[in-house]
Amino acid sequence: MSELGLLADDPEWADVTPIRQYENVNPIAPIFYSEEYKDATDYFRAVVKAGETSPRVLKLTEKIIRMNPAHYTAWQHRYKTLIALQSDLEEELRLMDDIAKQFLKTYQVWHHRRLLLTAINSVDVAQLELEFLKDVLEVDTKNYHTWSYRQWILAHFNKEARLWAGERPYAEALLDADVRNNSAWHHRFFVVFSSGEKIALAPNNPSAWNYLRGVLEFTKTPFETLTSFVLPYTASKPPAPEDEVVDLDNPLPSQDAELPCVAALEFLADVYEKRGGDDTAKAVEVSVPMTRVFKQADLRVQFWKTLANEKDIIRKKYWEYRIREALQRAT
Amino acid sequence: MSAEIAYSHTPTDGFHTQTSTLQEATEKLIRTHIPPGGTSQVELQKRYHFEFLLRNLRQGFPERYTSQDASQPWLIYWTLHGFSLLGAGLDDLTKKRTIETLLALQHPEGGFAGGPGQAAHLLPTYAAVCAFAIVGRPGPGGGWESIDRQKMYKFFMSLKQPDGSFLVSHHGEVDVRGIYCLLVVATLLNLLTPELLAGVPDFLATCQTYEGGFGNASFPGWAFEADDPESEKPSNASFDPTAPRPPLGEAHGGYTFCATASWVILQSYIEHYYARPDVSSATSLPIRPEINTRGLLRWCTQMQGLPIELGGFRGRTNKLVDGCYSWWVGGCVVLVEALLGVGVLHDSPTEGQGGEEEGPKAWDDVDDSLFDRKALQEYILCAGQHPAGGLRDKPPKPADAYHTLYCAAGLSAAQHRVVPSDARRHAVISAWDPVQARAHDGTGVVSAASDAEREKLDVLRRETCAHVLSWTEEEGTALYVGGSANRVNATHPVFNLTVTHSDAMMAYFYGQSLPSRLPSRPKA
Repeated sequence: MSELGLLADDPEWADVTPIRQYENVNPIAPIFYSEEYKDATDYFRAVVKAGETSPRVLKLTEKIIRMNPAHYTAWQHRYKTLIALQSDLEEELRLMDDIAKQFLKTYQVWHHRRLLLTAINSVDVAQLELEFLKDVLEVDTKNYHTWSYRQWILAHFNKEARLWAGERPYAEALLDADVRNNSAWHHRFFVVFSSGEKIALAPNNPSAWNYLRGVLEFTKTPFETLTSFVLPYTASKPPAPEDEVVDLDNPLPSQDAELPCVAALEFLADVYEKRGGDDTAKAVEVSVPMTRVFKQADLRVQFWKTLANEKDIIRKKYWEYRIREALQRAT
Repeated sequence: MSAEIAYSHTPTDGFHTQTSTLQEATEKLIRTHIPPGGTSQVELQKRYHFEFLLRNLRQGFPERYTSQDASQPWLIYWTLHGFSLLGAGLDDLTKKRTIETLLALQHPEGGFAGGPGQAAHLLPTYAAVCAFAIVGRPGPGGGWESIDRQKMYKFFMSLKQPDGSFLVSHHGEVDVRGIYCLLVVATLLNLLTPELLAGVPDFLATCQTYEGGFGNASFPGWAFEADDPESEKPSNASFDPTAPRPPLGEAHGGYTFCATASWVILQSYIEHYYARPDVSSATSLPIRPEINTRGLLRWCTQMQGLPIELGGFRGRTNKLVDGCYSWWVGGCVVLVEALLGVGVLHDSPTEGQGGEEEGPKAWDDVDDSLFDRKALQEYILCAGQHPAGGLRDKPPKPADAYHTLYCAAGLSAAQHRVVPSDARRHAVISAWDPVQARAHDGTGVVSAASDAEREKLDVLRRETCAHVLSWTEEEGTALYVGGSANRVNATHPVFNLTVTHSDAMMAYFYGQSLPSRLPSRPKA
């Protein structure tokens, strides 16, 4: 296979004088490259300098990319060459499929596809990309670049209902597989939000709570509207089975739930903070499990103190800051 | 508090998924690194880390670092700043070789590349300029005079997109890392202009996700270069930077740091080139974009792991802790505190409301961070150190150049409180020489501006510099887990350089002689 040989021994490259990386410099912190990598990049420097865009450049850049997929200049020059040669860009996408799967965590792998898809500008191809990305995300369900690229495709073709149609079920399926997958939560928010029952599955799941808070803030819905949903999660143990009343809007924590849930305590404190902030003068009495009856302004502090000193000690400083800030604002 | 409660696991609610299984396994593993006798005796193995760095610098990196071939200035910067943090100086020959190596990475059309003959790119440009701050000096052979700032500025402008963002390189992607790198370099080298910064705050604001942290980019306003045959039509004329754009990608520690530090650098620009919403009708300036700073603080503090994870930081919700986020998230908290006006040294206006004299001062007596500094140090010292030298993500992973720096920088951020000092800011402003600052402009485009524009730019540069130069270690607030033998040097929260290095570089590129940094007044 010529792929593994050195370009220095290849008659096809006999017309090119390779350029060494450092001339007249004894570099600090050098990397010990393989002979093959050194050979390929020496020729690549010569290619870039000459501005060559020919079929052999596609072979050379592929070779470099397979050895070092983060070589952004190789990607850049490859893209220029593809355009200059008017290459079949869909073929290029297929060629890149296994490179993408092999080097999931490399920025350039995904950016190259984005350049190609923009140039191809076909909804059919975009649809195929979404399918391909499902395969990839099966291997690594939280891969940042893959997700970012998927969201870019949807935004880029944002008027194409057929591309968007499968996204919500897809996000749901991923959350069914792992309700703690924050990438899937983010995607669900990106696609369309609806909140709810998933907190009940595993209450101590920050992804679900952040999502819920995000939806409320985005839709400008007061946190308070969810008070009755959140309250059972602030109790010290799940409700006894006989007490359970099926309420689809306010699903109760499971019997295995480890309560009280820190995120629920925080949520409730925020509810009281909002009330306190909106109307500090009124001291409406509210009864809350696990606490006595407090004035509202005190309730939030009580919750934050519980978090700071008992339930979430690692964030003690943060909860104390919330207390100071709230009290200062009140005066 | 019993030990059992202190080391309670992340609740799984009896509902297991891939995420919780991985989390449990990690907690089990990290737990074994908690010293039975407590952490008061745990040592930073400075000698081993020093040797790890020295080996990389002198002998070089093994073949597996070929993946970093396009990040050579990063390998240099990580190593050199690692020495700075450990308190090791460099000999003249090493400095000279480093300068020669860095200059071989300067692209003929401006900016720095990941390696000789590679394309210029914003990320290696940051790393190279920071490395120059460490090894360079004024005068022939010092490297600083050889940085082609006019070409660099042209390179920056060639990457500018209609939505205010920048490509990281020609044909490259847009993301907030590139913006951070560009802003740091432009600040250090006297390249700030309103045309460079136009739309940057608006773009950054769109990258904040519902969780409070930042994702890598937003959509759209992203276009190919105009000379590209396949280009999308540039939409400069019609693009509305205030139009809502979805963030791409979830909230992430690295992007959150970059966006937050950028936001800090941009404060003066936002102040002078945007109008507050309440006065916007009376001016032609665009309305100030906003970020949710309280949500940002919440997200950052939420990323700190439990005691059973030794208080390390994770980079995303429901992901595992990793030593590098000690810096990207742990180091970000103080930036957010500054944006909130918490912990600023001496009285300072809060939230831009003015009232310098009468402003609330309730925070002045609060001299501690809003994250658990002690716990973060424990993570780095107990889990982050590789026994053979160098630092790492988590056990049992090997050490590498990247994690060695960002664990060390995170340790520094947990040991020292470096915060904006009003006194230092005033001192810099009083001593500021505007004629010199303008004469040292690196862009070469300022002379074309009108007098009024130039005066406004003078203010922007002076205030931006005075702010970044004002970050000062707060006396009496250092905290060393394992004792002061574990001390590493303080690092600048915005640049990740020592203040000695960033002060010297800025003094040179702005033509200023900065007032000396006297030890600040001990706290009463």
